[in-house]
Amino acid sequence: MTHALRASTFVADAERTSWHDETLWFVRQKRDKAVYAVPEFQELRELASQIKEHTLSRLDEYLMQFEAKAQRNGVQVHWAANAQEHNDIVLDIIRRHGATRVVKSKSMLTEECHLNPHLTGHGIEVIDTDLGERIIQLREEAPSHLVLPAIHLKKEDVSDTFHLHLGTEKGNHDPQQLTEAARQHLRAKFLAAEVAISGVNFAVAETGGVVICTNEGNADLGVNLARVHIACMGLEKLVPRLTDLGVFTRLLARSATGQPVTTYTSHYTKPAAGKELHLVIVDNGRTQQLGRPDFRASLKCIRCGACMNTCPVYRRSGGHSYDFTVPGPIGAILSPNIDLKKHSSLPFASTLCGSCTDVCPVKIDIHTQLYKWRQVLAEAGEIPAAKKWSLQFMGRLLASPTAFGIGGRVARTGLRLLPYRLTHSKTFNAWAVARELPEPPKQSFREWYRETGKV
Amino acid sequence: MTHQHINKVTSSRENILAAAQANKPAETPLPTVPDFGGDASVERFTQVLAGIGGRAVWVQRPQPLEPVLAQLFPEARRIASPLLAGAVDINAQTPTALLAEIDLAVLEGEIGVAENGAIWLPEANMLHRALPTVTQHLVLVLDHRCIVATMHQAYARLPGTGGYGAFVAGPSKTADIEQSLVIGAHGARSLVVLLY
Amino acid sequence: MRVALFIPCYVDQFYPQVGIASLQLLQKLGVTAHFPAQQTCCGQPLANSGCERDALPIYRHFVATFQCYDYIVAPSGSCVYHVRKHFDKLEQTPEVQKVRAATYDLIDFITQVLGVTELPGAFPHKVGLHLSCHGQRGLHQANESELTPVRDGQLRRLLSSLDGIELTELDRNDECCGFGGTFCVSEEAISARMGQDRVQDHLRNGTTVLTGGDMSCLMHLQGIVRRRQLPMQVLHAVEILNGEMVK
Repeated sequence: MTHALRASTFVADAERTSWHDETLWFVRQKRDKAVYAVPEFQELRELASQIKEHTLSRLDEYLMQFEAKAQRNGVQVHWAANAQEHNDIVLDIIRRHGATRVVKSKSMLTEECHLNPHLTGHGIEVIDTDLGERIIQLREEAPSHLVLPAIHLKKEDVSDTFHLHLGTEKGNHDPQQLTEAARQHLRAKFLAAEVAISGVNFAVAETGGVVICTNEGNADLGVNLARVHIACMGLEKLVPRLTDLGVFTRLLARSATGQPVTTYTSHYTKPAAGKELHLVIVDNGRTQQLGRPDFRASLKCIRCGACMNTCPVYRRSGGHSYDFTVPGPIGAILSPNIDLKKHSSLPFASTLCGSCTDVCPVKIDIHTQLYKWRQVLAEAGEIPAAKKWSLQFMGRLLASPTAFGIGGRVARTGLRLLPYRLTHSKTFNAWAVARELPEPPKQSFREWYRETGKV
Repeated sequence: MTHQHINKVTSSRENILAAAQANKPAETPLPTVPDFGGDASVERFTQVLAGIGGRAVWVQRPQPLEPVLAQLFPEARRIASPLLAGAVDINAQTPTALLAEIDLAVLEGEIGVAENGAIWLPEANMLHRALPTVTQHLVLVLDHRCIVATMHQAYARLPGTGGYGAFVAGPSKTADIEQSLVIGAHGARSLVVLLY
Repeated sequence: MRVALFIPCYVDQFYPQVGIASLQLLQKLGVTAHFPAQQTCCGQPLANSGCERDALPIYRHFVATFQCYDYIVAPSGSCVYHVRKHFDKLEQTPEVQKVRAATYDLIDFITQVLGVTELPGAFPHKVGLHLSCHGQRGLHQANESELTPVRDGQLRRLLSSLDGIELTELDRNDECCGFGGTFCVSEEAISARMGQDRVQDHLRNGTTVLTGGDMSCLMHLQGIVRRRQLPMQVLHAVEILNGEMVK
């Protein structure tokens, strides 16, 4: 199924689409306000971009430096080539501790690896503790946004879900009370958990430590109560120096939600006395992406979600229309690297307006990469054959002035002479579903110019 | 772990590093991050703190904090703090059940950041790593002379991150239900900064 | 100064008046532009669909057509952006480099090359300016809300210089209209919704004449305006600047 098809289902609910669009636009506006207030914001974007580019250009060295430092800090480092290895490693650590109760804070990597079904399939209870993630976990849905995983839901939906699973009062939609119910429910899970899994926002090569950013405090609460902490990170999370965090912490929350910083910016460097800290470094296609000059810049991503909030297509089609762990513009340039065929429609789910590129805090040329993936897809035969043929036909037409002149006249005359219900048939002409065709003039410009000649 | 498993994981490490080396682009320079200066005033700090749901209260040190705390948190029964006599005894070995009953933690922050209201709280000042989030309410005590303008300056001042440490900016919060801001998600329900 | 007029394919066929207004406006500013009859298209429709390779003959034809001119001027930021940015796929011969650098959007040509910052004339209407993404973000013709709260740009200034004109303050100053080339049919539902939302913003804020620098976006928005029979006229900015009267 294509993005267009799933999107058309989403947008069919006009009222909900308005709500989704306006809610995310509001987040974009909060981001703007925060960004305008920092005079050096554009300089920070450039610095962040350069730091990430430099890190990628010495990635192997920084990975080794990071590993050595982390090990010296008493951290156990694991390497996973792919999702399966990642899941096996995590399960193995949990089993070695004989644990069955696991809490997990937000991690798009573990979503990408489908860790939860793997663990539950082996008898482990794994509870997502970020409120949004817990909501969708109870509903057995995928996140629809990088940092606002339940943004596709309204409070009535959450209320129904909590009534069903947490026994809250039916019809009580108050976000404050729903959040309090989740707090009570999850507190019990935090207190009982033996192992806590977290994602990683930044990994610092020179210290061997990792940084986790949350607003809810769920990562810290889970990790610091459990005996074992497993932090899972994509290998692109590295930055060279501790001071680089000054740049990234100033960019991340402002870009994501318009906050000046996340509530908790927590630095985990050594395990607590008597406890264990494990780091799982995951590749899962990342080094392959590193080898694609046109697309490697996508590895600079810090998962802020700003490109989603600004994307006019995302806001009107919803995160699930992308059918990939990371939705929106950034997902549309990451996904073809994972499965070109399955995600072939995503690079086309864009008008190439470029707003994503302009909000990106690490200056990823997102819309240019979308354009380039389209070329790769067409070369690989992953665009519909009919489209390809008509475009090739158009190519020959447009390379020949004579054919172009004739073709244009035929089209324009046809449009003038054919009956309205045929030219505006919703079956044959997608344009005409919601739009009138332009009124064809008697003369084209070139005909006018030839006849009139002069101004 | 089986031998096979160990071999697989070991070879994954080698494979990943080899692929990273083979596929990385030509080296680009690592930029120097300038100190952008900025407003390090107490006014800026308290204003931003209020904007993120925190609250600043001036106190006189070394005068005792108890009267101020009694006024701010009249209902707090179980208080954890290295700064108060008669507080609940909390250390790194304190069991979860006891931690879960803490109403209020009063801890010493080390650096305040004016641009975002964050306060650096190192592990050494936490009593237990979970205390700042497991407590119902959190008070951070901060010397107003330790306020810097930006995160750049904060990181420049950090001697290191120790085993664990966090910048804490306001109370725990969420907006995961329809983007409605709710204070008090999983961590502390409120944050008061006692400035001196 | 030899100046060629490049008229995008759909403008040629459907909006000849935009080409005529471009020619006339340049004439008023002392520039006689020539329209090379063998011109076709910039190749963007193919390239944006992934068929860049099939577009190469079109690129070469474009270069061959225009290489002997000092400036190539088009009333479309999108086509100009395509020539400047994506003709990098051609071997960069001196001719290709020259054509890429010499291709200008009409508004940029007027303001930057001719140095004209205001125009005589009156247009006493409430005018809504649609900023087309390729002109704005691609060619940096107008400030971007992603970067600054200040709403400014070449076209906005030129229009403001007309007597009696009032520009609409939009809720969303620079959101994409959803045209997007083949996107307008391949993602019909989203494209239409985006266009409806743009039109609604103009309607809500009082626009009676909707204008912009790119006829492709305007064709899409006009399609919605006409389908909904809204009290709004759609004109390319060059028509207004050339003294076109409202019907």
